[in-house]
Amino acid sequence: MSSSSSWSQALVKVSPYTFAAIGIAISIGVSVLGAAWGIYITGSSLIGAAIKAPRITSKNLISVIFCEAVAIYGVIVAIILQTKLESVPASMIYAAESLRAGYAIFASGIIVGFANLVCGVCVGIIGSSCALSDAQNSSLFVKILVIEIFGSALGLFGVIVGIIMSAQASWPAKA
Amino acid sequence: MNGWTAITSRLNSIVRGYRSGLLTAADYNNLCQCETLDDIKMHLSATEYGPYLQNEPSPLHTTTIVEKCTQKLVDEYKHMLCQATEPLSTFLEYVTYGHMIDNVVLIVTGTLHERDVQELLEKCHPLGMFDSIATLAVAQNMRELYRLVLVDTPLAPYFSECITSEDLDDMNIEIMRNTLYKAYLEDFYKFCQKLGGATAEIMSDLLAFEADRRAVNITINSIGTELTRDDRRKLYSNFGLLYPYGHEELAVCEEIEQVRAVMEKYPPYQSIFSKLSYGESQMLDKAFYEEEVKRLCLAFEQQFHFGVFFAYMRLREQEIRNLMWISECVAQNQKSRVHDSVVFIF
Amino acid sequence: MSGQSQRLNVVPTVTTLGVVKARLVGATRGHALLKKKSDALTVQFRQILKKIVSTKESMGEIMKESSFSLTQAKYVAGDNIKHVVLENVRNASVKVRSKQDNVAGVKLPRFEHFTDGEPKADLTGLARGGQQVQACRAAHIKAIEVLVELASLQTSFLTLDEAIKTTNRRVNALENVVKPRLENTISYIKGELDELEREDFFRLKKIQGYKKREIERQMVAGKAFAEEQAVEKVALMKGISFNSAHNILAVGAEKDEDIIF
Repeated sequence: MSSSSSWSQALVKVSPYTFAAIGIAISIGVSVLGAAWGIYITGSSLIGAAIKAPRITSKNLISVIFCEAVAIYGVIVAIILQTKLESVPASMIYAAESLRAGYAIFASGIIVGFANLVCGVCVGIIGSSCALSDAQNSSLFVKILVIEIFGSALGLFGVIVGIIMSAQASWPAKA
Repeated sequence: MNGWTAITSRLNSIVRGYRSGLLTAADYNNLCQCETLDDIKMHLSATEYGPYLQNEPSPLHTTTIVEKCTQKLVDEYKHMLCQATEPLSTFLEYVTYGHMIDNVVLIVTGTLHERDVQELLEKCHPLGMFDSIATLAVAQNMRELYRLVLVDTPLAPYFSECITSEDLDDMNIEIMRNTLYKAYLEDFYKFCQKLGGATAEIMSDLLAFEADRRAVNITINSIGTELTRDDRRKLYSNFGLLYPYGHEELAVCEEIEQVRAVMEKYPPYQSIFSKLSYGESQMLDKAFYEEEVKRLCLAFEQQFHFGVFFAYMRLREQEIRNLMWISECVAQNQKSRVHDSVVFIF
Repeated sequence: MSGQSQRLNVVPTVTTLGVVKARLVGATRGHALLKKKSDALTVQFRQILKKIVSTKESMGEIMKESSFSLTQAKYVAGDNIKHVVLENVRNASVKVRSKQDNVAGVKLPRFEHFTDGEPKADLTGLARGGQQVQACRAAHIKAIEVLVELASLQTSFLTLDEAIKTTNRRVNALENVVKPRLENTISYIKGELDELEREDFFRLKKIQGYKKREIERQMVAGKAFAEEQAVEKVALMKGISFNSAHNILAVGAEKDEDIIF
């Protein structure tokens, strides 16, 4: 505890702004990564399947849009989080409340980022399956779309929790 | 999702698209109603085979139909192979090694009987062609064959296993083919295991079935020949459901009823053998084909694995066999037997 | 050709008649024999015909079966099995040899197939469709058997057909040409001989007549001469003229017929 290189020292001594900024970066960056991965999986399958069944292209753009939504969640949360970032006097920077706010933003960013990452991958895989099954049998499209909606809801959960979490971030008032 | 790239994903979708182009039961029913080969051509022109058959002059022959259908398969294969990236391209090449073995064996046999190489090349399966295949004819014995030609081909490791056989007489050729095939199946199996994931899972099932089928067929076909038990045992692939205890039992079988008794112990094959009436083996092949098609179709139920490519190639081959059967039946006026051997894919 | 012109150009003599008669007998016997031969050949011919019909019918079936078994083999063992089998062949295992049968003097070629060496159960299609390949092989061997049999029957059929035609021609020739000609010749010779006989008889009659007349004439001449003599004698004896002597004699002759000379 007394050693200046221990983990607890690091957590307390690193500026809460750093945590907040990393949180925001993770929220947007990882979300976009998830969205991109999802679009990549869906898109490549969609293009391939569309060769033999061109009718599926416009319908299955929905899957791509679902993936895109994941990135939008990330953007929204990032914007919300960065509005939470307030400047505090230098004397208050290591106050308990500041630390709390910093961690809250950090955690919120991680929650949203990784929730969106897996959500993006999930939607991507389902979207790819959706494209393939639609190409084989068009009656399957709506059924798989329902599954896809459930998948994309996962990201939404992360967003909700992240937003609630970020509501906890209250910086010490300026004296 | 090992080695799963955008290209792979796209090819996967394409191969599924190709699969939806396979003839359905309704198509087969229509084809079975045909009276002449021209009728068949007319029916096929509405399917994906249309462009391949439309320029054929009217007195159509069965071999032409089969040739054109094979041509389509080859075109599709080449299209996929051109676009495939690393683990998939190797996988796709593995799929054709079986034909390659057949071609090499055919050329070697033909050369031993002093046939014209050019003539032999025309008879080779187009899927099993490789660049240096024509030079196979220069070899006089096994060692030379290996040293000059085969060492550059992907088949080299398989040949190194049977290179000890000094002389190439008739007996050796057929055993050589099966030894090669065994080595190929085992290698393919290992390769799939290395890929891991769903590919390993699905392919090991398909390859195990293939290996077991070969084991049963070798047993049945070698009954009454001079193939000894040990030799027979050596031709079984070292994996699959029957390995190793089933192989031991199969190796000593002297008649088909014993084979049946052995197979009864294995639930997946029990149903196949229970379909056969006592002492009948003619329908066995069809039963195996049906089982294979069923398994291949199941491979399409999962995503993100290479099994679909293997399954597609096999299904297409089965479809060509079906078409060959139907057109032969129509050509030979044996319509009552049309339904005997057609395996519906869907 | 009129019947009359159909005869041998022979000298109508008894010897020739004998010879021709002998020939006729020979021709009749030959005709009977040939007729028998033709009948025997026809019986054989009919048999072969019947066999050909049945073989042809079964051939249709067997060829169908064999080509279908090839389809089955192809289905199981792949399209390439044809080439695999073809390239594996070194020499023919089923061969055909021909020998001759003798039916009523007609030599009929007969083909027989035989397998050269052991029919070895090779391992073709060991892993796929070996049984179908073997079944296909068996079916085709059966087809070859039937084909060889049919070939043998067809050749016999043609040969027999030719032989029957020749025999029938011979029979007809004997019956319609040779025998009538010989018969004509015989009747001609007989007619000629009869005519000769009649001529001879007539000539004899004629000669007899001539002779008779001559005798009569001589007798008349003799009588006249005797009368003359008598007249002379009478004239000499009586010294009368010849005329009166004549008269005396004539009167005397009328009275006494017995006294001529």
